[in-house]
Amino acid sequence: MEGYGIGTALVLAIWAYVSIVLVLGPGLWLGEALVAGAVTGLVVGDVTVGLQIGATLTLMSLGMWTYGGATMPDFMTGAILGTAVAALKGGDGALEAGLAIAIPASILMTQLDVLGRAVTTVFIHGADRALEKGSIKGITNMHLWGQLPWGLTRAIPVFLAVWLGAGPVQALIDSMPQWFMTGMTVTGRLLPALGFALLLNQLPIKKYWPFLLIGFVMWAYLKVPVTGIAIMAAAVGSLYIALKGVRANG
Amino acid sequence: MASAAKSVGSTPVSDQVTKKDIQRAMWRHIITLQWSWNYERMQALGWLWSMLPILTKVHKNPEKLKEAMRRNINFYNTNPVVGSPAIFGAAVAMEEANNGEVADSLKVGLMGPFAGIGDTIMAILVRPIVAVIAAAWAMSGSVGGAWLMFLVGVAFIATMPWQFNVGYKQGINMVHEVATGGKINQITEAATVMGLIVIGGFVPSIMAGVKTPLKFVRTLDVQGKATEKVVEVQAVLDQIVPFLLPVAILGFAYWLIRSRKLSPVWVLLILTALAFVGSALHLL
Repeated sequence: MEGYGIGTALVLAIWAYVSIVLVLGPGLWLGEALVAGAVTGLVVGDVTVGLQIGATLTLMSLGMWTYGGATMPDFMTGAILGTAVAALKGGDGALEAGLAIAIPASILMTQLDVLGRAVTTVFIHGADRALEKGSIKGITNMHLWGQLPWGLTRAIPVFLAVWLGAGPVQALIDSMPQWFMTGMTVTGRLLPALGFALLLNQLPIKKYWPFLLIGFVMWAYLKVPVTGIAIMAAAVGSLYIALKGVRANG
Repeated sequence: MASAAKSVGSTPVSDQVTKKDIQRAMWRHIITLQWSWNYERMQALGWLWSMLPILTKVHKNPEKLKEAMRRNINFYNTNPVVGSPAIFGAAVAMEEANNGEVADSLKVGLMGPFAGIGDTIMAILVRPIVAVIAAAWAMSGSVGGAWLMFLVGVAFIATMPWQFNVGYKQGINMVHEVATGGKINQITEAATVMGLIVIGGFVPSIMAGVKTPLKFVRTLDVQGKATEKVVEVQAVLDQIVPFLLPVAILGFAYWLIRSRKLSPVWVLLILTALAFVGSALHLL
């Protein structure tokens, strides 16, 4: 089991940089862990494990959103690092090893997110000065290079962890005891509850709870596949509005 | 879209601003609004830079231009994808007509409500449904999951030129109507119903792995002979209500957030601790 070369580290670092900037604008969902994991999987040669790690992190993030610019765990960077580690480990336990890196990395990265958001303040002050000089070019530069703190706070940790850290990260994984790996596996199973809970917290379930039960019964008792539930949901949603309109008009 | 320069609502008077300038402003906003996002004034610099093609044409006097730029670098923050293009479109129409003050009050008045609408549509109504379906596909090894996620993001972006043009053509009236109108409530309601059914079905399917390996060995007296019978707790639970454990864990997490007002990171740590303790005791 070898580490990654500088080339792979560089490609993933650039990918992390480009992703976060394109998340800022035009708002591509490259920051979604699922997408980040799949692309990383492609780079390191194990798309399946990238999809699995990305999917697990995406489910954890269900109800999370950067409301008003609030910081949330950086699941994109977590997915990149987790996938890289999992593909390196390979075989049985690859997913667990990847998650064991991805989850703490996602949480630790919030610190760098805050740093990036704070450092960019320098650029708007620079723009203020350019404005007073009447320099349109200065304003343009300040705005366009405002992406630097955002991109670098992702690219640098990814580069270091994938390249320099391959050995140490490997040693760390090899030394993980069984109880830890089992614990991480169970954690991965429990954590979607967090995403669902955050989501339900934002929905008016006091008023609409029966629909929650309809969905539950469809899966748990009637064994309808998930796609079937989604189609049924679209039908019921449309019917609800239509019938409500009829009642209001009649 | 093609008639962007022909404004109906607000009749811009400036003849120097060309259709090309308006397109440039629109694309600057769509692509780069948040590139210089910062804690102090958030999307302000992106807003100013997007508005520059208009401002530099309208204000030939350098001092007047500076004045207009100072107004446009004030605090601004809203949902950049759903909402902001419409606000920006309306503001472009105002600035073009040299109605900068109206543009300012429009911007300040609408960024809050539009952030609420945009975040609700994206983060609560659309993303979770898409994410759950995409994750289910991805878990089964299908690259389609990642594509689905990516393409929905693209679909959102595809609506941005349309939003801009609605804002630009209708000016304030239309933007106000969207913010307060009944149509958006209907859509929200239908999507809420849809979302809850999907979540109701996906909670047990996604969390099906949450089971207890707990077993009891009971000694039974069968026709005078002592026989040992293994009782699997999970099988007993399944007979009461299937997926009882996932629902209980979700209820616990919901309670922590709703009633205990804990932050997501705390709930994450508590669930992790629960998983470790549970697995060490062979309960989970």
